[in-house]
Amino acid sequence: MKKLLLQLFAVALLAGCDKKAEEPAKPAAGAASYIDKIKARDKLIVGVFTDKPPFGFVNEAGRYVGFDTDIGRQFAKDLLGDENKVEFVAVEPASRIPFLQSDKVDLILANMTVTPQRKEAVDFTHPNLKVAVQALVPQNSAVKSLDDLATRTTIVTIGTTADIWLTKNHPDWKLLKFEKNSESLQALSAGRGDAYAQDNLVLFSWAKQNPGYRVLEEKLGDEAPIAPAVKKGNIELRDWVNAELAKLGEEKFLLKLYDQYVRKELSDDTKPESVIVEGGKWQG
Amino acid sequence: MTFDFAFILSTLPTFLSAVGVTLQVCLIAIATSLVVALINAALLVFRTPYLSRLVALYVELARNTPLLIQLFFVYFALPALGFNISGFWAAIITLTFLGGAYLTEVLRAGVEAVPLAQIESGKSIGLSDWQLLRHVILPQAGILSLPALFANFIFLLKETTVVSAVAVPEILYTTKSYIALYYKTYEMLAVLTLICVLLFLPLSLLLSRLERRLQHGQFGS
Repeated sequence: MKKLLLQLFAVALLAGCDKKAEEPAKPAAGAASYIDKIKARDKLIVGVFTDKPPFGFVNEAGRYVGFDTDIGRQFAKDLLGDENKVEFVAVEPASRIPFLQSDKVDLILANMTVTPQRKEAVDFTHPNLKVAVQALVPQNSAVKSLDDLATRTTIVTIGTTADIWLTKNHPDWKLLKFEKNSESLQALSAGRGDAYAQDNLVLFSWAKQNPGYRVLEEKLGDEAPIAPAVKKGNIELRDWVNAELAKLGEEKFLLKLYDQYVRKELSDDTKPESVIVEGGKWQG
Repeated sequence: MTFDFAFILSTLPTFLSAVGVTLQVCLIAIATSLVVALINAALLVFRTPYLSRLVALYVELARNTPLLIQLFFVYFALPALGFNISGFWAAIITLTFLGGAYLTEVLRAGVEAVPLAQIESGKSIGLSDWQLLRHVILPQAGILSLPALFANFIFLLKETTVVSAVAVPEILYTTKSYIALYYKTYEMLAVLTLICVLLFLPLSLLLSRLERRLQHGQFGS
């Protein structure tokens, strides 16, 4: 009995080895492509935000929705024929790239700004949005310009463009870093810091819904593209997304999502072209 | 994926100060927890009216709510009531709240483990309550509690990483910041693991040696 079990175990072990040896070889051989792998699984796995309206959030019905999130559903529809064949994984700004690196998701659609450092770590597709970093302060704050923040405490969310930009360009500023966008906003309203630096779209949206705050005019750094990202080297999926974005651009699909989610969050004179990038045609 | 040693070297000064913060937080928290626990255990042992009830309630409350939630409450909710406590002190307060409860139970159990005969003997030679506590109960209860006490110290030490959530620049916060800025996930997690091993293992060994030393006297073997 013992011997039989041992033999069975050995066989199982060998079988296990076989599988492991096979998998990484697959993409190199090219026979089974990444897209085929997604099709075989019959599910697209996408990392999205859950606390960053209007881009990725949870609606009253508990469903993951938003500008980015709905693009993910459309991708699933065009790739697998059903917009529900998508599995959303909640990510935080700092966990977006590790999730791709460790194969937890196929694609990140979580409002990620293209930066040189990030380009080293992942492959970006063509952009779907453009953004600049600005700072939010309480209405009655003494802070008038960005320079005023040099001697104060600035809140950032770990791993956001604001975090990266400030660490690089103002290493002497005092930063207070939180894991989630909602925690950072909570910290600002609790008076933990004097300003919250974040992508301006998120700040505009929040300031519109929560009176008593204003966004400083000055921008931190240049306007930059926001794009979906795939694991470094996954050229196949990247190219598929690029082609898909171009196709959706012809249908003005992003404008539809903009009207549905984003327009009401921004001031009335905001032009859609200053926020969305239709067809992936702008490179920053 | 290549392993970037040059990058690791460049982060070491920051990690060194992070280790300092971790040690500061946990050592202060252990000390304050012990003070809280001593007072509470005395109240429980003497069955002080009302107060002992209150202590029992506190122990249940503290032990049955997650540390992270306690921390968020102190850091994010208390400012609404006018208490604006810095991340560092919010960490100390929360760890003391939790640690104090666990240590209270440890000390109480230690006192209860002192043989009844010892206490009765003490009473029979006319010792007062305080004399009984100082000369009979505490010396024995202290030794009996040591293993559980030290285990809880190590527990508190490991729990300190939770306070990274309120932006206290300790080791986990530093690790996460670096990963977020430079995407050196593997390198930074390796450094964090190594620091934990170097920090916690020697302390754990030290405490268990100390424990053996002290208990040696107790059993005289």
